[in-house]
Amino acid sequence: MIEQAGHLPGLPREALRWREVGYDAWGGSVAIALPELDAAQAAQLCAHVRDQARARLKRMPVARIVAAIDAAAARLLDRDHPLRRKAEELLPVVTGYDRETVRLGLTGYLKTFRRPQLLRFLAEDFANPALLDGFQPTPKGGYLSARGPDLLLHVWAGNVPALSLWSLICGLLVKAGSVGKLASAEPLTAGWFASLIAEIDPEIGECLAIVWWKGGEAAAEAAFLREADTVMAYGGNETLTALREKLPVTTRFLPHGHRIGFGVIAREALDSRKAPALARLTAHDVVRYEQQGCYSPQMLFVERGGRVGPAEFALYLAQELAALGHRHPRRALSPGEAASVAAWRGAQEMRALEGGASLLGEPGDGWNILHVEAPETLAPTGLNRSLKLVSVDSLDDVPALVAPHRHFLQTAGVAAAPERLFRLAEALGAAGVSRIAPLGRMSAPEAGWHHDGRFSLLDLVTLTEIEQAAEAAAEGFAPYVD
Amino acid sequence: MATQAEIVEALLAFIALPQASEAEFEAMALKLFAWQFRNNEPYKRFCLQRGRTPLSVRGWRDIPAVPITAFKDLTLSCTPPETAERVFMTSGTTQGIRGRSHHPTLAVWDRSMLRAFRERFMQGRERIRMGILFPDEAKLPNSSLAHYLSLARRECGAPGSAVFIGPAGLDLDRLLTALAEAQAGGEPYALLGASYAFVPLIDALAASGRRFSLPEGSRILDTGGFKGQSRELEPDAFYDGLSAALSVPRSACINMYGMTELSSQLYDDGNAVCPSVKSGPHWIRSRVVDPLSGADLPEGQRGVIVHHDLAHFNCVSAILTEDAGEIVPGGFRLLGRVDGEASKGCSVAVAEFLAAARG
Repeated sequence: MIEQAGHLPGLPREALRWREVGYDAWGGSVAIALPELDAAQAAQLCAHVRDQARARLKRMPVARIVAAIDAAAARLLDRDHPLRRKAEELLPVVTGYDRETVRLGLTGYLKTFRRPQLLRFLAEDFANPALLDGFQPTPKGGYLSARGPDLLLHVWAGNVPALSLWSLICGLLVKAGSVGKLASAEPLTAGWFASLIAEIDPEIGECLAIVWWKGGEAAAEAAFLREADTVMAYGGNETLTALREKLPVTTRFLPHGHRIGFGVIAREALDSRKAPALARLTAHDVVRYEQQGCYSPQMLFVERGGRVGPAEFALYLAQELAALGHRHPRRALSPGEAASVAAWRGAQEMRALEGGASLLGEPGDGWNILHVEAPETLAPTGLNRSLKLVSVDSLDDVPALVAPHRHFLQTAGVAAAPERLFRLAEALGAAGVSRIAPLGRMSAPEAGWHHDGRFSLLDLVTLTEIEQAAEAAAEGFAPYVD
Repeated sequence: MATQAEIVEALLAFIALPQASEAEFEAMALKLFAWQFRNNEPYKRFCLQRGRTPLSVRGWRDIPAVPITAFKDLTLSCTPPETAERVFMTSGTTQGIRGRSHHPTLAVWDRSMLRAFRERFMQGRERIRMGILFPDEAKLPNSSLAHYLSLARRECGAPGSAVFIGPAGLDLDRLLTALAEAQAGGEPYALLGASYAFVPLIDALAASGRRFSLPEGSRILDTGGFKGQSRELEPDAFYDGLSAALSVPRSACINMYGMTELSSQLYDDGNAVCPSVKSGPHWIRSRVVDPLSGADLPEGQRGVIVHHDLAHFNCVSAILTEDAGEIVPGGFRLLGRVDGEASKGCSVAVAEFLAAARG
């Protein structure tokens, strides 16, 4: 069967050209038809979304939008809902992640978008969320209102299921008309979500479009890039650089590049009772989405001096990765991915021969851990359950070891006592880290998270201000003035 | 307990055989493995880490293959490296660090090269006039390719053979003169060199609308790819260009696949069809393996190429390359470099990290 991706209000499906892409994993296969618009269709779609957003979405109270998102999330969280069942069936085939990972991941992620959490998104960015509905008084005097872009373009990337929903929902919350470009590696969830929104609240559904084009190739691309007021884009720096160069200077560009996560474990967290549990939590962060998330750990800095030393902790971690490997087998790797893991493992094997490092795991195990005795700076591994564990005499040494790569920093998973946590966070923040999470939760950001240290909603809006002086001057023209 | 001299003698005898069966190859491979295990300390540690020893290994396919990058990190030599007659080094183009292979004697390397070169390139001809498009060995003493081409010229070149790469690069005027003479002379002519060195020749001839009709039996040998030294050409475009410029049929354009980390070379039987099928002499065998598990892959399935080169006796015989390929009848097909893929998610992968580090 063929699954049609996307969501294209105002464009008849028969008028479009569709590119069929096949995916297979875990013995299953699925064909997905991706919409390929020409330049005229792209322009038409942008006009439709923009017009509908102006006429309907921007006049809507944000509470109505919250209600629609909440209802859509509820349906996708309902494991009996046909669309949820389809998601659990198709996403493992398309992304390669195992069924359980997809199921748990979907539920864990969608919980972030229920009404109480959506209100937290709003409260996080707006002291007074009513700014989105109209002018509100400001502390300094005068009034402010916040308006989202008429047309927000999302350029999604990556293979983590449903990740696109974060930016799509942020766009909705600020009443932006949205066009989202599907990632080839996960081209389904955004379209499903948009279709649910359209089902729940057809007026909002008219303000969303989910499209696809091959990056840098299609005629439609120029139309989308020209029409968007704001572009939120995900991908590697090379991709983002190329995209930025195609945008008019007046377009607001919000890039989110690739990141590398790391863990930090203090000696006080390493006693014989706490260490095994900590190893399990760390293993979860490694295994969930096979280190493909921007928040995923690739390196662990482990402090000496605990009752459980770094080498022993590495063994606990190896046990946990092995156990998790049975319950959640690593997905089949592409030749390129397999080569990356093999090359990394091969290089570490050579290092281990020289001493000062030991490699845990066999080539066929589906995971690898390298434990090194001497401090070294942050560096990526082969991904797909490859982890480097670095012994340090003191966690105070860690910020300097990650600082050279500040542009790739985002999430640090920290296991430390409160006083150490705050001291370390201060130094890590100075080095470029924007998120401190507990181990086990690195891959599950909170509602209202400041992605890459920025405001998810505030970055999208333009503030319109009535100055206090203007308000005062208006009094001079009131009919009741003497 | 074999000595180096005995190993060398056994290998020279093996190379001299008309061919070798699987069993004969296996016996020599296992004997060599035992010798390397005993005399090559880093390789021994590598094997022990893999749980493989001469006692536990039963077949040549089980002998641990060393990743090619190890030649940059380690000194893999069964004899003291300072006693090497020759050290071949990689160009260091990809990451800057140069891999090296130590050769206590070039006797085996030279015998391996000449036996295969005569069979696959000379094809019964004793000598042929050669044009060499690569610097001479005297200029590049650590280049295995320079040694290869100098040896070819010395042992198989007819009088009048010449090198056309000088301090300023390709000596185009002299080369064009030599080609004109070959055309007029009626005797077959051979042009050998790095792939990239042929590109300016093709371009110059195309620009001037000129072409040569080299005599029948002329042949071309290219090797090594473009390495950022010239514009890149797809194989079909490259061989079409050569064929058009020199009137040498694509079937007489031979590509040699070799590397610093091997002592033997592999050849195709012309490039009428690309990618061509490559194969080697009876003392080197190639496998295609799963990069993760190291297991052999069935014919037709894409994996990473492992070469087992008995002639590379002083270093390591089993080499895990960074080349993708597939086994086909008669040999294997090269499918390009196994570059690590960019991340599919939004986690930083090695390639992106290194690109950022370079600035």
